[in-house]
Amino acid sequence: MKERAFIGGLARQNPLLVYLLGLCPALAVSDLVSKALGLGAGVILVLLAAVAAARLLRPVIPERLQPIAWLVLVAALVSLVDLAMQAYLPALRQQLGVYLQLLAVNCLILGLVERLARSRSLSRCLRLAAGQGAGFTLALLLIALVREVLGSGTITLFPLGSFGGVIRVPGLSLYPVRVLSLAAGALLLLGYLAALAGRLMARGRKAEQRSAG
Amino acid sequence: MSFAGIILTAVFVNNVVLHQLLGLCPLFAAAGSRRAALGLGLAAALVLGLTAPAAWALQHLVLEPLRLGYLQTLAFVLLVAGIFRLVRLAAARLAPAVHRALGLHLPALAVNCVVLGSCLLLVPGLSSAWRSAVAGLAAGAGFLLASVVLASIQARLRTERVPEAMRGLPITLLSAALMALGFLAFDRALLANLIG
Amino acid sequence: MGYGPGSALRPFPAPHLHEGPTTAGMMFSVVLCLLPAGIWGVLLFGQRALHVLLVSVGASLLTELAVSGLFLRRFTLADGSALLTGLLLGYSLPPAVPLFIPAAASFFAIAVIKQSFGGLGRNWLNPALGARVFVMFSWTGPMTRWQAPLAAADVLSGATPLGLAKEALSHPVPGLRGPIELLLAGLRPSGLRAGPLSDLLQRLGRLAPAGYGQMALGNVAGCIGEGSALLLALGSIYLFVKKIIAWEIPAAYLGSFGLLAWAFGGLPFGAGLFRGDAAFHLLAGGLALGALYMAADPVTSPLKRPGRLIFGLGCGALTFLLRTWGSQPEGVALAVVLMNMFVPLLNRIGGRPISREAEQ
Repeated sequence: MKERAFIGGLARQNPLLVYLLGLCPALAVSDLVSKALGLGAGVILVLLAAVAAARLLRPVIPERLQPIAWLVLVAALVSLVDLAMQAYLPALRQQLGVYLQLLAVNCLILGLVERLARSRSLSRCLRLAAGQGAGFTLALLLIALVREVLGSGTITLFPLGSFGGVIRVPGLSLYPVRVLSLAAGALLLLGYLAALAGRLMARGRKAEQRSAG
Repeated sequence: MSFAGIILTAVFVNNVVLHQLLGLCPLFAAAGSRRAALGLGLAAALVLGLTAPAAWALQHLVLEPLRLGYLQTLAFVLLVAGIFRLVRLAAARLAPAVHRALGLHLPALAVNCVVLGSCLLLVPGLSSAWRSAVAGLAAGAGFLLASVVLASIQARLRTERVPEAMRGLPITLLSAALMALGFLAFDRALLANLIG
Repeated sequence: MGYGPGSALRPFPAPHLHEGPTTAGMMFSVVLCLLPAGIWGVLLFGQRALHVLLVSVGASLLTELAVSGLFLRRFTLADGSALLTGLLLGYSLPPAVPLFIPAAASFFAIAVIKQSFGGLGRNWLNPALGARVFVMFSWTGPMTRWQAPLAAADVLSGATPLGLAKEALSHPVPGLRGPIELLLAGLRPSGLRAGPLSDLLQRLGRLAPAGYGQMALGNVAGCIGEGSALLLALGSIYLFVKKIIAWEIPAAYLGSFGLLAWAFGGLPFGAGLFRGDAAFHLLAGGLALGALYMAADPVTSPLKRPGRLIFGLGCGALTFLLRTWGSQPEGVALAVVLMNMFVPLLNRIGGRPISREAEQ
């Protein structure tokens, strides 16, 4: 049971592919790998901080005000991450644009904060938050890899030293499938991923039923 | 930009759903019923029409003069939440039937990126609160269009035998993808040529 | 491409969503009526065009076989719809495209647009046109490289009539009253392969007013099967007679488009209202192919007359809009794709909903 907290977020309870939470930013920033990594990191940071803070603050805040309190908390944390990014990673911040700020109303983050504020074990709730955040980032990374490699023929990472940051995929970078890097491509890809995830889940459930019965 | 330009851009060129990819969660949830889709779209248009000018005023009359630009996210979030509250209260008092009809949709929209995202995207580029109101309404209209068309397509698909793996969300996503493909026809060049 | 229903075979009674005679028979009739235009295209554009057609049809059949066999456990090649889709797709591609494009387009048309929705009769988007849009935006460069007809083997130049018209709109030529003059100026590219065919074309072309004859015959740069409005129209007569195509959609489409082109087509050239060159526009590009063979696809178009007329009108208006002011010279595919989206809504016009289940 305890193991599931982190690993679960990566696979069976993957927030993006299974529960389809936080779709909007996911689709919008998955056209470049660097953007996916950036947003994913933001999600993880905000999640961990928000969950911890909410747990600490919950006894102090009246029940009726809690929803708005969490909203303010997450918005404040997102603003902090936003400002930090503007200072240290301005190019990335520019690319992420509005979608970073939209984390303030991200259903994954808000939902988890609400749920885990009541949690009794700090370490467990941190592990869960980390797992969901990591799962989200992983799924986002997967989508971004496919979209960018097939859609632009490149993999955009962060410049490091002499490495410019952009890897060109031979062959594909000549005639990439441009529609994939557009909104239509994002929806298309997610559609098939959701179908795949559904299929795998159904098979898993059937296997469980068979072994139980 | 002229009013026509603002409207056409918000509805077609930068369609909230099919271009900006906002509001997907409530959209797909409402795609199951044409009535729900219509209600959702109308609610979105109403709220956006109110929120966008307020956000514009907040940004240009409060945040920027006072050099509080870094509070934008927080301020907008609170503004959106506040307006939602007001709309619900007003609807409950003044038009209970409308309140009941909208009741299911407002919470979904409130915690969703459509309103916040549209405000964040529209406000910087517009020069007056009035224009923001028009842009907000137009963005909502674009959302309504996408919502109703998607729901009608899904209604037709429900009478067909869609492959099992694709049923539900996957086929909705696919339909949205093909709609987005069609909407690629509306680009800035078309607008510029048309309106000049 | 889904003419005819699989629903005719369903066990439950009315409402049938889509009605018609037997599927395979209709499909093959349409294919036969299309063949003259395609053969002509190959004659005009050479071996390259033939390769494109073979790849698009082959890929279409292969994808249908693979997808329906693997995922749907049914073998549906015999209904002829994949063949038709592949053919139509090939016809709407330029002759000089790299061969991965027809392959990708066919795959997209069959696997994504058609089979993912359940196969024949269940798609809401026309597979050939949707795939064309997909390919147009994915590989815009190769999709806009044209070849003059009857050109010597390596000559890869030539602009389409619509391309010329679009150029003129963005770079106005003083004194130009209409697009046909541009065409006449460009109609004699160097490197033409002399021979009986070009002689025949010259002679036939002189039967009609200058330029229009060439356009009707297809002696202009363009997509493989689109050029010869004449052959396409002749082929479609049989389909109208046999009631395989309903007349409302092509009539409304061509009618509204022609009207708009006549009324407003002259404006960008400064010629004033009601001076537009309707004939040019009706003969140019993929309009004949689209209006006669693709827009009226029973699966993706409205069922009843009012809906059909509105659909045709919408297609015509959108095509005119996109051709005149859009960023691309051709607008047929996008126009029909956009109207396909509204078909379920259009089906509600004219009385009772189609099925109670669909009501919610």
